[in-house]
Order: sequence, then structure tokens, then C-alpha cells
Amino acid sequence: MASSKASRLGEETRMDKVNAELVVLTYGTIVAQLCKDFDSDYVEVNKQLDKMGYNIGLRLIEDYLAKSNTVRRCSNFRETAEMIAKVGFKIFLNITPTITNWTSDGKQFSLVFDENPFADFVELPDDGRAQDELWYSNILCGVLRGALEMVQMQVEAHFISDVLRGNDTTEMRISLIRYIDDELPPEDD
Amino acid sequence: MSYYFAIIGTQDNPLFEYEFGTSKQGGDGQPRFAEQARHLNQFVLHSSLDIVEEVQWTNGQLYLKVIDKFFTNYISCFMTAGNVKFLLLHQPTATAGGGGGGAAAASTRNSTSVGANPTSPQTEEAIKNFFNEVYENYVKAIMSPFYKVNMEIRSPVFRQRVTAAGRKYL
Amino acid sequence: MAHLGPGKAASSKEQTGLRYPSNGKTIYHRPLNRTKTAELSQSSFAYLFSEMVSYAQRRVTGIQELEKRLNLQGHPIGLKLLDLLLTREPPRSQTRPLTIIALLHFIKINLWTHLFGRQADRLEKSSNPDTPDEYMIIDNEPLVNAYISVPREMSQLNCAAFVAGIIEGVCDGAMFPARVTAHSVGGKEEGEMWPGKTVFLVKFQPEVLEREALIGKG
Repeated sequence: MASSKASRLGEETRMDKVNAELVVLTYGTIVAQLCKDFDSDYVEVNKQLDKMGYNIGLRLIEDYLAKSNTVRRCSNFRETAEMIAKVGFKIFLNITPTITNWTSDGKQFSLVFDENPFADFVELPDDGRAQDELWYSNILCGVLRGALEMVQMQVEAHFISDVLRGNDTTEMRISLIRYIDDELPPEDD
Repeated sequence: MSYYFAIIGTQDNPLFEYEFGTSKQGGDGQPRFAEQARHLNQFVLHSSLDIVEEVQWTNGQLYLKVIDKFFTNYISCFMTAGNVKFLLLHQPTATAGGGGGGAAAASTRNSTSVGANPTSPQTEEAIKNFFNEVYENYVKAIMSPFYKVNMEIRSPVFRQRVTAAGRKYL
Repeated sequence: MAHLGPGKAASSKEQTGLRYPSNGKTIYHRPLNRTKTAELSQSSFAYLFSEMVSYAQRRVTGIQELEKRLNLQGHPIGLKLLDLLLTREPPRSQTRPLTIIALLHFIKINLWTHLFGRQADRLEKSSNPDTPDEYMIIDNEPLVNAYISVPREMSQLNCAAFVAGIIEGVCDGAMFPARVTAHSVGGKEEGEMWPGKTVFLVKFQPEVLEREALIGKG
């Protein structure tokens, strides 16, 4: 039931649109600039992208709540996953990644991206390192981390495969660390 | 017919090169340049760049057709919007029986075919189709945020696509 | 910038180490026009853009430097769009711009419509006889300014510098080297119709005008 409701929310949400290629090219120029600024230290570029995403996530959640008309908190992490994939990604990137590979404790799952608009025009640099070190779409991990923190969930997210690296799928792994107590500020690790 | 194709950057620097032979009239796709001529191909192509510079500001078409001739070498040119040049040197096989295209050169019936006559409308059209297909793939290559202007195009998939276009049209 | 002598490209071919997915999900396997009319949420653009601005802000001192940096980030996009948009023209109108006017029309119509869903509002040539090399593209309401709330201490910043960079990329790519800057000209008074109105000042290099004069004669 939660699943079909989430899909409907994603479909019904209306908002102003812009040309997708403007967004994709803007993201591309951000990543290319980071690679230049950090002298192709891709590990650092991944961190910077995650950081940018985190900043976005903190601000995006309100927008998400308004656009999705969500009033109620998700009752469990599985429902959270549904809302991320079918409402969040649908609203902001017009894609619906597949939820899969749950751990038995229900605290870890994967999002598999059949489509990834950010990667549409991309071929990674042929320098013998980028395909081993750079997670091109890493900003998305930060966005999830930031947005979920705003609704009292501390998560960890990272990519484990990417078609840009020559993998057959693009997969992100998301783990629930803990629910954050309303009274306490989030702990840094 | 033997072909030498090169993409030349805005600083007259080569971005991509590929040598091949006709696949028409039973051709096997292998180039049949004389060993000495092979070394000259690059220079012949580069020496036609001056002519390209003259033509490019009077003709806004992307496909500029045959722009230069050097003995039996014909140079066809295509200019991208970003003023990168696609140059194709085509050379009919000189002696009959020398290769796939050789037999065609002798026959009147085939004298307008792609494999024989470098300036026939058919050849012109075939080269246009080849250039257009390469252009589409070239645009894909340069769309990558990591592609900087005048960078050599090293993608093996791009090379496969150029090879396929050559086989399909030439 | 790589400046290979003849022959170098040949020797380094086939040395690539890139891996590709077995299912062939690469740019080369997708139609170039697949996302031509695709749309995404405006807020996605706004979030990315403002992150780009605030990242750039941390690495520069002063507004001029910041605008320069935004310009630089737009520039490669212009270079790419020049070719992409031309390939999308119907074969009959697929011509390279040979004159300043043809180029500016391409920017006002093709580039603007693609990026912002409408043409730029106006195109003007400088009326000052001392600056025949200057042209203006006017946008009453630039998209990029619609989302970015500029901090008070940076009130002179115009984020449309990013768009100026895109325009500059198109000009440079088409071999009309130019310097393009964005200037806010909207009135600040209450009730002003276009408070975000921006002029993109395109100043061409002297050689562009010289060539134009020659072509005109020919």
C-alpha cells in the first residue's frame, strides 16, 4: 500500500520545469571544476561533491515536504526508502531508482539507477585513475544524508558501482545509522 | 579506394586519425596506400588546411565537399560548428587488380560508383553521409564535461563508430 | 592545451584504458537527441547553481573574481552547445554562423530557447560610434537570477555571469572571440517591472570586425 501511494505522490507533484540539459551540463561543469581545483585528486572530489550534496539536502527537505504534501513521518525505514525512490527522486530528477538488496534487519538497502540524468553525456577521463576513484554522481549521496538528517535520521550513503566505471549497473548503498533524538544535536563520528 | 581520415583541431592539431579502405564493390576495408604515400598523407592533408581557411568564411555549409587535389589524392572537408575540421583524403586504387576497388576503376559502368570516381555525385553523397555520422559521434565525445577543446579523442567506442561509418558508406 | 604535432595522435591510439559496461550503456549508444526536450525540476537547477556559486565564493576574493569564475564555468557549456544545437537544426538551416548578426541570432534564438524556453528579449548594437565592436543581448528576467538571493554585501554580483560565460563559449567556439559580461540594469524602485533585467555585453575582438569588413567587400 505504501508503495503505490508513494508512486502516486511522485506522479502528481507539479512544479516549474527547466530544460534537463541545462541541469546536466551545470552539474558537469561543477564536477569538472572540482577535478581541476583539486588537481584530479578524485577522493577529495568525491568528498567535496558529498559536502555540496549535504548542503543541498538540508535545504531541499522543506521543498520536498511542501511538494509531496507529506505530513506524517515515515513509520519505518522501508517506507522511507519508498518515499526517497518514488517521490524524492521523481520530483527532483524525474527518475525512479529501484529499491533492492535489503539486509534482513531492514537497515540497509540499495538504490539501482537504470537512468541517471547526471551521467547522460559523460565519459570519465582516460587517466587510469578516474574509473577507479571518482564517483561522478556522488553529490546524490550527500543530498540523501542531508535531507534525512533533517527528518531525524542519520544515514550513510555511498555508491558501490557505476556504469561510468564500466559496471553494468549504478548502485548506491544506504544504511540507517540511527534515529536522531529530537532533543540532541546530531553526533559527529 | 583508400582513405585517410583525420579530425583537425582549431590549432591545426590532429585530434583523431584513421586509415581504411573501401568496403564497396567487394572491398575488404583495408587501405592500399603505397608505403611511401602513407607517410605523405598527413602532409597532404595538412597542406590543404590553407584552402580550408579560405573557404570557411565564404561557405557556411558544414560539408564543403572536395576542397583540394594533390596528384591522385582528393581531400574532402567538413567543418563543425566549433571550427574543427574533418578531412578525408581519398585515393582511387591506381592499378586494376591491385585491390577491391581496382577492378571498378577500369569499368565504365562503375565509373560513378563510390569506389572509383572521387568527384561523382554518388561519392560526394557517400562522403557526406560518412561525415554526418562521424559528426554525431564527435558531438557525443565533446559533450563530456571532461572533454576540453582540442583534446585528442581517444575513446575506443568513438573509433569503433568511425570504423562502422566508414564500412557503411565508403 | 594539447598541441600535438602531426603523427603523435597516431602513435598514441589504442592505448586507452577505459572500461565500458557490457550492456553498452555509454553516450555513444544513446541517441544524441534523447534528452532534447526532457525537463527537470527548476529547484534541482537552483540547488546546483547556488552550490556552485557558494563553492566559487569560498575560493575567490571579491565580486569581480567571482563573476570571472562563474564565467569560466559557463564557457565550456557554450562550446559544447554550439555543436549540439547546430546538429539539431534541420539540414537546410544547418549552417555555421559567418557573420556577427548570424551568430547573435543563433544565441538569441537557438541558445536561449534551448536553455530557458524562450528567446532573449532584445538584441542591440552599441549606438556609440567609439564602440562598434559592442553588442547587447537583453534578458528582462534571467532564470539564474530568479533563485539566487545575493547577500547584501555582494549586491553588485550578477549570477548571470555564468550565462555570460556560456555566450562567450559559443562566440569563441564559432571563431568570433569576444568578452561577454553581465550587467544588472533593472530599476530598484518599488513597482519596477523588470528588477532583474540584465544586459549581456558582447565585446568582439578587433580581428572579428576586420574579417567581417573583408567578407562584406567580397
